[in-house]
Amino acid sequence: MEIKTTAVAGTLESSDIQIMISKGSNGIEIDLESEVKKAYGDQIEKVITETLKKYGLENAKVKATDKGALDCVIKARTLAAAQRATETQDKPDLEVL
Amino acid sequence: MDKVVDLFLSDAATRQKWENLLSSLDLHNFSAREVDQIDHTIGLVDEDGKLVGTGSVAGNVLKYVGVINEDTQGARFNKVVTNLLQYLAEQKIYHSFVFTKAKYASSFEHLHFNLLAKTDEAAFLENGMPDVNDFLSDLPKVEDQADKKIAAIVMNANPFTLGHQHLVKMASEENDLVYVFVVANDVSLFNFNERMKLVQEGTKQFANVKVVSGGDYMVSPATFPAYFLKSPDELIDVQTSVDAAVFKNKIAPALNIARRYIGQEPISRTTHFYNVSLAHELGPDIEVITVKRLEKSGQIVTATQVRQWIKDGDLAKINKFVPESTYEFIKQNMSELQSRIEKGMNIDGN
Repeated sequence: MEIKTTAVAGTLESSDIQIMISKGSNGIEIDLESEVKKAYGDQIEKVITETLKKYGLENAKVKATDKGALDCVIKARTLAAAQRATETQDKPDLEVL
Repeated sequence: MDKVVDLFLSDAATRQKWENLLSSLDLHNFSAREVDQIDHTIGLVDEDGKLVGTGSVAGNVLKYVGVINEDTQGARFNKVVTNLLQYLAEQKIYHSFVFTKAKYASSFEHLHFNLLAKTDEAAFLENGMPDVNDFLSDLPKVEDQADKKIAAIVMNANPFTLGHQHLVKMASEENDLVYVFVVANDVSLFNFNERMKLVQEGTKQFANVKVVSGGDYMVSPATFPAYFLKSPDELIDVQTSVDAAVFKNKIAPALNIARRYIGQEPISRTTHFYNVSLAHELGPDIEVITVKRLEKSGQIVTATQVRQWIKDGDLAKINKFVPESTYEFIKQNMSELQSRIEKGMNIDGN
């Protein structure tokens, strides 16, 4: 799977997370902003990385702005951003979830 | 639940409500210069139909963001910023900026805006990608850069003259490596690609000079909003401070730049003031070296004068002030350049 464009999904509102993805060359690089980063930062990054890998992406730059999202929300937003970035949103791969 | 709506400021009643809201939040500058740049404005309306928040975008800059807070601190602000970023994403703009009062910097930082510069009054932040780190990692580097003597020059070069060449030559002789940052803003008689090309051609005899785009990070006057500032003098001061702070804190350390060369300014009081202020802000970490302006037959070489001669169509005079490459370009494109001036391109500025 190849990233064709920068893309974003999600909002900055409470209980959500905004994920922006663009082309990378150095594995999955995540820049995370979260008020609960100390406690849950590792877990949030793990969920994003696993979701992207399941979708077949090995290299990507990710900016994630968390507002207290649950794992299922993180997965859904990551998948949506990944599909937009790879321009495959017309063939949703819900198996990844 | 608050609703997000589009606001059309061309409608007088809407405009009045919008101004009233922002005035109540201590934002007062609604000059045409600022407001006319706005591409899109949204409003936040509460259940009683009252306007309780707003935000605008101009290009990739967020402007006039303001909300009336209620119990849930930040909820309305986050909603407005989310909607503005979504609007930009729909236009395929994933990298944005905001200039704001220093006290609001942290509100934006909570939304993953990264601080590029902060002075006592103003803060300048960016969001999304590619960001300043991507910009810096894409710039050409040399081996053992950390041990080298490195200088920088920021120029608009509208167009590149013998004066610019003189400045680059001095820097080239006195340092191991020189970055020439060409201002990327396209508000000049010569567009960015033309200015870039002429700088490259006019400096190619200097092996240790790298000509690169200043990107969004060096002197972008069009994006600096005067709306939270009182007077022009204050504006220059704040703009210089922010510009210098970005250079000092973000650009220079990443590239090991220890010196910045500037041309002495004998004519424009504003530019002179800018130079003095720059030296003050950058020092002592970065040495600012002011080079005396080059003179040809008793006249100071300036790009302003060259533009005037383009308007007059006086190639013989232009030839004295510019290197061969710039001269050839002007000669071949004289009618195009003159027609740009006729269409209203300002040639008196920078």
